[in-house]
Amino acid sequence: MTVLLELKGVSKAFGATRVLEQIDLAVEDGEFITILGPSGSGKTTILRMIGGFTQPTTGSIVLDGRDIAADPINRRPFNTVFQDYALFPHMTVAGNVGYGLKVRGTAGPVIKQRVAEVLDLVQLGSFAARYPAQLSGGQRQRVALARAIICQPRLILLDEPLAALDVELRKQMQEFLKAIHREIKTTFLFVTHDQEEAIAMADRICVMNYGKILQLGSPTEVYYRPRSEFVARFFGDNNLIEGVVTAGGAVETPIGTLACASDDAALSTGAKAFAVIRPEAIRIGAGTGADTVVAGQVSRVSFGGAATVAVVDVSGVSLRVKLPSRAEGVSIEAGDRVELGWRAGDCRLVAA
Amino acid sequence: MTAKPIETDRIWRGVALTAAYGLPLFFILLPLCGFLVYSLFRVEGTELYYDLTLANYRRFFTDEIYIPVLRQTVVLCLEVAGLCIAFGYPVAYFLSGLKGRKKYTLLMLLLVPLLMSYIIKMYAIRSILGGNGFLNRTLIALGIIDQPLTFFVFNLNAVLLTLSVLLLPFAILPIFLSLERIPRNLLEASHDLGGSSRQTFFRVILPLSLPGVISAATFVFVLAIGDFLTPQMVGGQNGFTFGRIIYSQFGTAFNWPFGAALSVILAALVIVAIVIGTWFGGEKAAVRR
Repeated sequence: MTVLLELKGVSKAFGATRVLEQIDLAVEDGEFITILGPSGSGKTTILRMIGGFTQPTTGSIVLDGRDIAADPINRRPFNTVFQDYALFPHMTVAGNVGYGLKVRGTAGPVIKQRVAEVLDLVQLGSFAARYPAQLSGGQRQRVALARAIICQPRLILLDEPLAALDVELRKQMQEFLKAIHREIKTTFLFVTHDQEEAIAMADRICVMNYGKILQLGSPTEVYYRPRSEFVARFFGDNNLIEGVVTAGGAVETPIGTLACASDDAALSTGAKAFAVIRPEAIRIGAGTGADTVVAGQVSRVSFGGAATVAVVDVSGVSLRVKLPSRAEGVSIEAGDRVELGWRAGDCRLVAA
Repeated sequence: MTAKPIETDRIWRGVALTAAYGLPLFFILLPLCGFLVYSLFRVEGTELYYDLTLANYRRFFTDEIYIPVLRQTVVLCLEVAGLCIAFGYPVAYFLSGLKGRKKYTLLMLLLVPLLMSYIIKMYAIRSILGGNGFLNRTLIALGIIDQPLTFFVFNLNAVLLTLSVLLLPFAILPIFLSLERIPRNLLEASHDLGGSSRQTFFRVILPLSLPGVISAATFVFVLAIGDFLTPQMVGGQNGFTFGRIIYSQFGTAFNWPFGAALSVILAALVIVAIVIGTWFGGEKAAVRR
């Protein structure tokens, strides 16, 4: 993959408030990259900077070997899908979608044809004459997408475009966006605070907090191999067991010395750290393949649809264990004494 | 809690409702109906006859003075509305582009003239527009002209200029509000899609502020057409308007029924103007919801 766009040492401060600190990020051509972080993490600022709506305080944004950080918005080959769509209320769907071509001075018949093509692509072919006020949320979303792709931008910026939709529709739109991405092969930069959405859609996820990039990698990487406490906590209901790093690279915790894998070479002996274990990686019983086995008492079992979560008390530490649900119920119940086992590879070490 | 507070609540709601419907009814609708009835009476000599007749309306439509004056007044007020929009729009646009405190301070300053006495403002404008006024003297001092200009001295042009100056705030305010209501991200979207500032203005900002422009025009037109004091004070002999005719029927001719008939005709015209304005404004706004 070739690099399309590169952020180099980009910082942004609003007065004394530092929103972004020394961001380095290379967006690859054709990828679907998601910037994931809680509100206030600086993710939207990155998107707005690339779009040209705000300028970096320091650093450069490089496209085709040229710094475009100071270029005006309308000169950048990027288009944005805004959070609340920002459709022009006084224009029809066709007027909205064709706007980008119209301001470029494209001939009327060509606009008409392109609008029809793009509306077909987003499955809104029969809605061309409607006004945005006459559309549902999902339809407006697709108009916003059509409007952004019609000029064939090098990069499409999506600013939490699904946040306003209800869960079911959001799932559909995720599929839909992925399908469009595969179809038009344009680079997508998608900003969201929803980790499930990020995992479901992205080729790469860039996790941010407090204006810094904490981890950049494929969904499976950031999900299974967190490199920081924040990332470990952000992705679902990980078990984090606090302890101290031992000489052998294991971690000494209240429930025993746990063998862990780590990507963080900087963790020295004696440092405080967390052992991170995903609840679905823990098995009940000291079955085959378990490198670490601990014993505890089940304090509660709760049915949660596809998975049933058992909370097991191990020497005062509560561990969540995720089991596949069954109609007749899982094999354990509150009060049972159980052994829990997991493979050393499923236990990750992150700095505290 | 006992039932007592609820009882008091109901009484208060009753009072509020009575006031809300009663006050306009008593102070606006009833006098208007009074005028309507009065316009059907007649005067002969100095005597008022209370028999119902359409003679006053017949006189309006057959006499050759009234319709031309009304037409001339309508044209004048349309021009006033046009001037107010032409000058008010850029001001409102500039204001809405300002940030934070500055914006509202300037807006306040623009609205200060509304708090001043009408008469004082008029005298001030007279002293600017007169034959020997500030404007003429400045132009002479600058060597642009050597004789005082007369085209804005005590005639319809003076009325036009004065009304425009006086009513300008009424144009700025609705336009400013409609500009403020345009979501910023629409402008960002326009730029993002490649639109220049010019294109963004003409394709997004202007169309979306049209409801404000229409209500500004309606305001100014309605206020201007009902004004008789301004033409009276700066219009001189030539600056005759419909409002002045009505005034003279009440004030000098003592023909109240005929004055009332002319007033009813003017009121009908104003209502038509407001309905047209609302209809157009509503048409534009309906799309936005």
